[in-house]
Amino acid sequence: MNNARRAALPLAAALLLGTTAACSPGAGSSDSAGGGTFTTIDGNHPISAGAPMNPFNAAGNTFLGYDTMQLGFTKKNPQDPNDFFPGLARSWKVTDSSITVELEPDAKWSDGTPVTGEDVRASMAIALTQGSATVGAGLLTQGLDVAEVKETAPHTFEISQVPGAKNVQFPRLVLTQKIVPASVYGSLLPADVWDVIHASQSADPGRADAAKAAVDRLNEIGKKVSAFAPAKDVSAGPFVITRVNPGSAVLDRNPHFFAAGKIGPKQVVVRNYTGNEQIWSYMTNGELDAAPFTAIPDNVLQRILKAGNRRVDAVNYVDAAIAFNQGVAPFDKVEVRQALAHVIDREAVTKVGQPVGGTASKATTGLIDKVAEKWLTPEQQAALDPYRHDEAKAAELLQRAGLTKKDGTWHLPDGTPWTLTLQTVNGFSDWIAGGTVVANQLTAFGIPTKTALTADFSTYKKEMADGKYPVGFWLTALGPGTDAAFQRLYGADDGFTAIGATVTHKSGQGSGNWLNTPTSFTLDGATVNPGELTAKLTVLKPEEQKEIVQQLARLSNQQLPVIQVWDYTNVQFVNDKRFTDFPKSGQDGLLSNSPGVWMMQGYVQPKKK
Amino acid sequence: MTVTFPSVPAAPRPSSRRARTLRVLTRRPGRVVGLGIIVLFALLAAFGPLLYPGTIAVDPEAVYAPPSAEHWLGTDFAGSDVLQEVVVGARYVLLTAAVAALVAAAVGTLVGLVAGFRRGLADSGLMRLTDFVLTLPGLPLLIVLSTLWSFGSAFQMGLVLGATGWGGVARAVRAQTLSLRERGFLEAARGLGLPQRHILLRELLPNIAPYVAMNLLLSVIGFIGAEVALFFLGVVPFSSENWGVMLNQAVFSGGVMSSPEALTYLLAPLTCILLITLGIVLFMDAVDELFNPRLRERS
Repeated sequence: MNNARRAALPLAAALLLGTTAACSPGAGSSDSAGGGTFTTIDGNHPISAGAPMNPFNAAGNTFLGYDTMQLGFTKKNPQDPNDFFPGLARSWKVTDSSITVELEPDAKWSDGTPVTGEDVRASMAIALTQGSATVGAGLLTQGLDVAEVKETAPHTFEISQVPGAKNVQFPRLVLTQKIVPASVYGSLLPADVWDVIHASQSADPGRADAAKAAVDRLNEIGKKVSAFAPAKDVSAGPFVITRVNPGSAVLDRNPHFFAAGKIGPKQVVVRNYTGNEQIWSYMTNGELDAAPFTAIPDNVLQRILKAGNRRVDAVNYVDAAIAFNQGVAPFDKVEVRQALAHVIDREAVTKVGQPVGGTASKATTGLIDKVAEKWLTPEQQAALDPYRHDEAKAAELLQRAGLTKKDGTWHLPDGTPWTLTLQTVNGFSDWIAGGTVVANQLTAFGIPTKTALTADFSTYKKEMADGKYPVGFWLTALGPGTDAAFQRLYGADDGFTAIGATVTHKSGQGSGNWLNTPTSFTLDGATVNPGELTAKLTVLKPEEQKEIVQQLARLSNQQLPVIQVWDYTNVQFVNDKRFTDFPKSGQDGLLSNSPGVWMMQGYVQPKKK
Repeated sequence: MTVTFPSVPAAPRPSSRRARTLRVLTRRPGRVVGLGIIVLFALLAAFGPLLYPGTIAVDPEAVYAPPSAEHWLGTDFAGSDVLQEVVVGARYVLLTAAVAALVAAAVGTLVGLVAGFRRGLADSGLMRLTDFVLTLPGLPLLIVLSTLWSFGSAFQMGLVLGATGWGGVARAVRAQTLSLRERGFLEAARGLGLPQRHILLRELLPNIAPYVAMNLLLSVIGFIGAEVALFFLGVVPFSSENWGVMLNQAVFSGGVMSSPEALTYLLAPLTCILLITLGIVLFMDAVDELFNPRLRERS
């Protein structure tokens, strides 16, 4: 994604969005006698010269897991959305309507003052000013609908959900909010902020105007919060920012951190970068102790490994797919989508698009392969159509859809030659490279295809929502939760909205529905609505989701609203030259978090000389 | 009063003109080399795509392959032949630059001639327009325009580049015209009551033609740089055989700064751009002599 960096941006977003996988708890020495400077980059954003040290600022110079803390850090466990590494919360208890959190009793800010319930309460209120606030229950991806933060015992707080709401992701949303000191941020909130929040959450149609006005006020407060520039960093994390230069940020160990004994490095330096090529350069020069996921070609990978870096892989709950706007002919015909799936050789596309960080998708199910394997029975997996590269089968399907081949090119049923534009995004180097191969394969098959680039991802999303692209690359299977994954196919982009228990569907101009999947299908003799099934997943516990997940996975495999091309692998690099005890490949939960979280678990200790 | 007409040599016959041109071209070896390079790239632009009909093949098993008998310049990020991409891509790059240079030269010359010769209100109006064009930030404007216009065709791209790049020519041509209009031969032409069109096209234009021709050739270099920059920045349609896209992919996807595997992929379009620049610079020496009457007289 600048160019190559942006390839990693949607993945970084995916990492932040999702919940995550289990892994073993702490390892390594808990002795903090060591020191040394740990050098890395922040995969979510480069250093922004002059930006405030404010985690709510879009370009803010704060670093999650180092100086910015949450109550917990997700392990991205697909079977348990509430599986977390402890952060400022020592423990938590989840009920249907609330989560009770016990804070670390020794948690302190870097100025020596204790972390209190007031900090948590202020942080939750701030979170609700940052675009999470919605009128009523909101969209399928429900907002953080915190109704109250109440102290029930010393260091213990009950955070309750809006009455009537039932969102299986509520604990995850609460635990992953950034906790900031009320002494610094509290003055930005009006005294009646919780009254405004309650007014914004009203589902009473008679109070809709008041709710709207409250949401507007929250958004105004939110703007003030995000523009705020604290005079200095006050951190409850293992490090605190000492200085930020255009080239790097320097963070020193926070002596007041409640688990300071586990933290190996004395200092962390977060380097700035302008693009992937600069990150590659840092690594080939052996300058980084750890580097997060970066889109990378095989030739550069070899150089990085040769420079003494070690590759660590973890599962990544996202894949790259080719999505269709079924409102545009001939993509409304399932045979056409299936034919294209047979023409596209996913192995070849992946080798070019994501040779290092990608694995060709085995089958389209709406989930990445590793998650699909956990949810589907072996019989169901065997029954999935893998849409192998088979041009004869593709030709047969196109003919069945009424298309004809003349003079080596395919023509639509009305006789016009069929040409295709595959849309992708400037700077998304993996999509561009993969798209080049797809275009080549389709053109060779008789469908003249060219790739086209949109200037940036935000324009891409907007134009996609406006239905401007019949075919384009898209990120799907965003997980690890199945509800989040299927919302990529049967959520807002497909016109579905859930208000309370009622699921509504919209299509046409301005609806945001660009996938235009039909609203009902026959599966095993029964009529199913994919949007309604997906909405149900958001309120069901994982153990109750199995039947719906299986239905949606099979439906997606038959109907192909998208063709999944490759599953991403979270490829990271560590360097053992200065530090040791890094997480290993397969420790998916840890590796989905920043090295700051690794350190809190006792990993990353200075190498003994 | 005696009116003195400048001594204009009699127009040479076609055969002697050809001989003189040949003599001028061969006077220095650099001129022949320059012409050879230009002809080579012109031939590539004209016939290159015909050498490789159809789409450029990809080979996922040979990504960034080194130069070999099969792939003289190696392969790119998709295993496509770099030589083939350079040859096929020459047409877009050169056609765009040629169209842009012609548009800039034609518009700039016309505006400069009229403004300098007519003076007064026409001069003021045209020069304010020229100033406006000169103040347009070229590359940023093109980046903005690229969000509205796809620039898929070389003519479109050339027209836009030319339409935003004629200001400098107009200013210079006006200055030359102002200087020439006070010369005796133009005063005589005006005194004889010759029509303005005749004076502009037959008296003024031949005298500024050397400058315009040189500027046209130089602007080809500038326009190649501008369009390649746009593609390098990735703000215009992706086409794997475009030279700017090749540079972009070599740097941002191939990691040429960290690893030499993509070096030929980077150097191939870069060398082509350098060769064209060299060819034009060397050839310009001959053009100057061919068009400039004073140099011609000395020859």
